[in-house]
Amino acid sequence: MPPLKYFEVECSDPVGGEAYKRIAADVLQDLDLLKVFEKLHIFVDPKVPIFVAAGVIRHLPRRVRVRDFAGINVQEGKAVLDIGDETYLAPLLTSLWAKFGKENVDQPDRFTVVLPEELFAQGEIEDMVVADPSVSIYQDVIYAMQYIAPEGFKVRRQHVGGTKFYYVASEDTLPEDVVETLVADTFARMGESL
Amino acid sequence: MTTLVPITYKGGVYRHDEIVDLIDDLGGYIVQKHVMAQEVVLQSFVPRDDVGLIRRIAKPLAGEVIEAPLVGTEIAVVSPSLEIHHLPHTSCDIAEYLRRAGAKTNMVGLARGFGKRIANLSAEERDVINEHDLAVYVLGSFEECLRQKFPVLRRGVDVPIVLTGAPDRETLTRITDPPVEGYVGDVGRIMHRFKRPEEIRKLDELVDEVSRALDARRDEIAKDPLSIFPARLMDILEEKVQEVSLLTHPTPVTAQLAGLRVKLPYEEYADALRALEIADGVTVGDIAEVLPSKMRNYILIRIKPYSETRIMV
Repeated sequence: MPPLKYFEVECSDPVGGEAYKRIAADVLQDLDLLKVFEKLHIFVDPKVPIFVAAGVIRHLPRRVRVRDFAGINVQEGKAVLDIGDETYLAPLLTSLWAKFGKENVDQPDRFTVVLPEELFAQGEIEDMVVADPSVSIYQDVIYAMQYIAPEGFKVRRQHVGGTKFYYVASEDTLPEDVVETLVADTFARMGESL
Repeated sequence: MTTLVPITYKGGVYRHDEIVDLIDDLGGYIVQKHVMAQEVVLQSFVPRDDVGLIRRIAKPLAGEVIEAPLVGTEIAVVSPSLEIHHLPHTSCDIAEYLRRAGAKTNMVGLARGFGKRIANLSAEERDVINEHDLAVYVLGSFEECLRQKFPVLRRGVDVPIVLTGAPDRETLTRITDPPVEGYVGDVGRIMHRFKRPEEIRKLDELVDEVSRALDARRDEIAKDPLSIFPARLMDILEEKVQEVSLLTHPTPVTAQLAGLRVKLPYEEYADALRALEIADGVTVGDIAEVLPSKMRNYILIRIKPYSETRIMV
């Protein structure tokens, strides 16, 4: 079972509820999200029909800055960026090109980027944000919920803000106050509030 | 009359032609032949009394003869959609397991089969399902949803149906009215590969249910036998229609319980097929209907019973 602090599936149909608990566990495992969630509560009522998932995300990876993955040496009028982790090289180059123009960004080999010193000095390159993994985490969380929810429930309302998220889906039009009522209730079950 | 039984032969490529010749000499038919790297799988019909002989001859070739109840049948695996919610598990796992039992399976992914109230079956989908010998409905987890959507998804489907879903067998039986030919409970939406012993047991149970439903259909056919055995007609077509051998489909001619699907364009070949002589002045048109299939532009041959044609080939 997933290393979540809290994981419950509540359903008026016990067989369906058990099935959805397995489905949710499988999906989270498949998408490698077990470590991302701290709490997850799913409420399904096929009679209404409605699917509500609410939860708390464990920790958001912080934004990746240039100094996190590159060593910087300034010498002889040049700033040499020694890339340690190639994962972020492409977004780094894209930002550098946008900032200084392609003609000023030299890449003699895969792991080295060279900039003229005067441009480097005015650019605050070390603290430049290259990537924000939390953006993809938000997408992954919502994708996982779409994957878990019954397929026919196409009308949906979703939200990820800070560490809390919710996902409500149904076949029919959702009531306007669904967030204040059902979602708030679901959070309350976990001892949380939105 | 010798009774033909369906078997699967699995063995190496080396000297497998001896088995092919043997089945031919014994008066059997090969309905599917798969060569995968060094391995050969033959789905065939052979005389009941000769199964032992084939086993004996296959032994030194390290070949294996297994009884395969679904050989010579075409089964539709009906999935509410082709989304990640149903594929590759559960629908593909089920289709694959039925193929192991010898069936030719086709996945029918409905355009709007998902949901409870919104589930729908189009006329085209219904006609495609009706071209098969049996349909396996792979449905989801909630009793409430199955109760409401299954009557819609089966509307107009007149082939035997085996229903699978997460509720247990008793519940499935209770909520299905009128009853269908088979039920397999405790399946539903499963998001991992079927590998645990209880999951494999469910697949075995499904094969049993499907073969039981098909046996009932075979018994029905036996009361008014077909004018020609489908595998025999298949053999004749493969021999006489040269274009069939040029097709690249895995099964250019697919055998069904009471017919064949020929994967040639209907417009160009239907008349030639109807006029094809199979024995002493008897043509295909005399003993069978040659119809356009709803699947691409294939040809569907439905063999008429003896009572209608008074001809037995």
